[in-house]
Amino acid sequence: MEKEGKGRKIFEGFRKIQSTITFSFSLLIIATVVIFLGIALNNTRKTILDSSISYTRQIIRQVNYDIDSYITNMENISSVIVGSPDVSNFLFPDEGQNALQTSEEKDEDKEKYGVSVIINNAAEAIDEVAVSRERILSQFKTITESRGDIYNIAAVANSGRAIVNDGSEGLTDFIDVKNLDWYKAALDSETGIALSSSHVQNAIVSSYKWVITLSRAIYGKDGKRDGVFFIDLNYNSISDLCNNNPIGTKGYIFIIDDEGNVVYHPKQQLMYGGLLTEKIPEILENDADYMLTQEGSASKLYTMSKSEKTGWIVVGVTFTDELLAGMRQAQRIYLIVAAGLLIIVILLSAIISRRITKPIAMLRDSMRKMEEGSISDASVEITTQNEIGDLSRSFNAMTVRIRELMSQIVYEQDEKRKSELRAMLAQINPHFLYNTLDSIIWMAESGRNKEVVVMTAALARLFRQSISNDKEQMTIEDELEYVRNYLTIQKMRYADKLEYSINVDSDILKVDIIKFALQPLVENAIYHGIKYKEGKGTIEISGHAEGDRVVLSVSDDGVGMDDETLSRIFDGNKKDERSNGVGITNVQSRIKLYYGEEYGLEFASEKGKGTVATLTIPREKNIDEN
Amino acid sequence: MKTKLRNRILIILTAALMLAFGIFALIRYGKSGAKEYNLILIPKVIDETNGFWTALIEGAKLGASENSCNITVSAPEKEIEYEKQIQIILDSIEKKPDAIIVAASSFSETTGALQKVLDAGIELILVDSVIDTDLGVPIVATDNIDGGRQLGEYTRQFVKENSRIGMVGHVKDVSTAIEREAGMREGLGEYADRIDTVVFCGSSYDVAYELTCEMVETHPDIDIIMCMNEYSTVGTARAIDDLGLKDKITVTGFDNSIEEVQLIEKGVIKATVIQKPFNMGYLAAEEAIKGLLGGETSMNVDSGCLLITPENMYDEESQRLLFPFLGQQ
Repeated sequence: MEKEGKGRKIFEGFRKIQSTITFSFSLLIIATVVIFLGIALNNTRKTILDSSISYTRQIIRQVNYDIDSYITNMENISSVIVGSPDVSNFLFPDEGQNALQTSEEKDEDKEKYGVSVIINNAAEAIDEVAVSRERILSQFKTITESRGDIYNIAAVANSGRAIVNDGSEGLTDFIDVKNLDWYKAALDSETGIALSSSHVQNAIVSSYKWVITLSRAIYGKDGKRDGVFFIDLNYNSISDLCNNNPIGTKGYIFIIDDEGNVVYHPKQQLMYGGLLTEKIPEILENDADYMLTQEGSASKLYTMSKSEKTGWIVVGVTFTDELLAGMRQAQRIYLIVAAGLLIIVILLSAIISRRITKPIAMLRDSMRKMEEGSISDASVEITTQNEIGDLSRSFNAMTVRIRELMSQIVYEQDEKRKSELRAMLAQINPHFLYNTLDSIIWMAESGRNKEVVVMTAALARLFRQSISNDKEQMTIEDELEYVRNYLTIQKMRYADKLEYSINVDSDILKVDIIKFALQPLVENAIYHGIKYKEGKGTIEISGHAEGDRVVLSVSDDGVGMDDETLSRIFDGNKKDERSNGVGITNVQSRIKLYYGEEYGLEFASEKGKGTVATLTIPREKNIDEN
Repeated sequence: MKTKLRNRILIILTAALMLAFGIFALIRYGKSGAKEYNLILIPKVIDETNGFWTALIEGAKLGASENSCNITVSAPEKEIEYEKQIQIILDSIEKKPDAIIVAASSFSETTGALQKVLDAGIELILVDSVIDTDLGVPIVATDNIDGGRQLGEYTRQFVKENSRIGMVGHVKDVSTAIEREAGMREGLGEYADRIDTVVFCGSSYDVAYELTCEMVETHPDIDIIMCMNEYSTVGTARAIDDLGLKDKITVTGFDNSIEEVQLIEKGVIKATVIQKPFNMGYLAAEEAIKGLLGGETSMNVDSGCLLITPENMYDEESQRLLFPFLGQQ
């Protein structure tokens, strides 16, 4: 119970089941949708990120592969040139040739080698060197012209002898090429091949270009590495390779060497200016082939691929918000669908709950009607076939049954009252009968036959009238007749004591009145008024219409009643021994029952002066007779 | 009544929820792109052969395109033509750009035109050079006093007992010349009184060459010449090289170009302070856009400088700054 406390409170707050259902449905659905969305979005994010990672990883591998093959291609070119005898012919001329070349420069040396054979040989050798030079230059020309990614192509001997590009350029005097990193690297490397990082080529006159140098050792005739062939690559091809595989519109690819020096970066100038930094130390330390970083509000994905061949690391940088653009789309769809679903569902739950609760509300309204007492129109229309329908049906059956029972009760009550009345009427007070019969006997003995006839006739009429019909009402005229018969008998019994007069307007004679309403009043006037009076008493019965009412009064000039007697006049049902069956109380309650509370009996009495009983009934009887 | 209220609350709750959804979606997905601003860069000169201005222009272009803004460049053909530059500034105002970046050619004459830029409600950024009046606009420049000081301090080692010093400036009364000279004097310290003459070449190699030849003749005692920009440094070095005096007269200077590098390698120039023109341009554009976006701008952005000597010129950092990585990608 305690546990449910809170939930109950929430739902008890609603006074309608519909609200409860709608609210709880909505809550449930919103919760479901939110949870679903959370899981779906999270999952989508993860999936998209995963696929983006594997996608960029693939691209980066591809770029790496492309660069490897690009470098391999360059190596092949270098191997072709280095392998040609022309290079070694040119770079490492024989002693003679060497001498001869020097002798060309210094005339006096010619004297030293004054032998014509030697000169001849030397001349041939010079020719040979010149031919080699031409061949090399044409080879260089072919290579550089066929591709746009080579700044410099050159072969240099340790002696300083060099052939550069188209032959018109030379090495600069200020730099000792043998001290340059790429030169030393080629000589020292195991394979004889070295690949530099980005650097300024300062070995060639008026170059000073940023290049990547591929250098390859040249073996001299002695089998030692006596020189270096090198190609200075510009960034055309590498940037093409990096940019041909776009990784998003904002994403980019850059290359670092194994020491972390930038080989290529699309914004190299910014990098060199110190305006842009990359997380190079982190990349070098990172073992996995990708890493996610958070820089301010932007989250970046770094994907790395290290080349075994060059030692370079190709790094792809993608912005996760761009990667997740697809997710945005998905999210948008999810959200729109969710919002749409929510609206539909809330509407539906409102409609459904309304459909469920409408019969209940109808049932409630019917019950309220029944509660208020109008059973006749309390039945409810059955609109559903479910439990509520059953309930309505049962309710309808119940109202029918109640209606039946009630009409039965009304009928039975009616019957009961009638039979009671009948029983009461049937037993005309025996004392009255004995007394009357005693009077008749007494009159007969004294030979007052005429009077006997009158009294007996009146008694007979009285009895006939009382059992004549079982109607509850009779006309005032008939009632007066009954009273008159009764008074005839009583007057004869109380010969000198009783006088009476009847003054009833003739226009009300045909008005219906409940049976035996007046007689008990007259009887009351006699037994409580006249009887104890000394001397003659008079009873006056009058009647007239007062608007839609009829007022009948029975007044006597007897002893009257004190206030106490008057106040107890309607008390109980105790029957006067001598009363003719129907008492005052009975008359009063029958009038109220038949005509309503506003009608009835009223008594006014004054001790020693007499009593007035006033009876009010409606002129038009408006009760239904059943 | 109470039920009605409940229902109303429920409806409002639902509506609020929908609204929240909508707003969420709007915020998440309704991001509108940043505005595309139009910038105009007015350097002192457009000269393909001049590494400094080329790099500055390139930097500004990149800075603008990084922020997806447009930039146009216009400038006189000669650095000394400050009247032309003023006309260009006035013409640029007519084009109603969002921002103008100016490298003022004159310390005092340009001020009026620049004030008009501000009056027209255009964002103004000064780059490289300052003017005589403080307009309260961002300035992106090399700390020229510091650059001069570095050069002065380095040059001290060449000062011998009887050394006399000559100076070849670029344009008299431009802020860069004034500041660099002041910095050099500061760096030289007590040797500052060895300065016998200061001449200005008007940013012309030939004038610098001739002035140097004259100086060597008229001031035979001078064995150190300090120059203040690329034109003066190269012009002076050429003269010294041609006169064969490179072992007798020490030349130190400012800025860099291929020729200057060669002259350093050759041993004619003993030191040069290089600026970071690319950074300068980039930062100026960035600063302009920052100002347009309503962000906080820095009043003085030092784009930095570096002393280059024959010994360190192929160091990683030096070669990155000495040899612009331009047009190579």
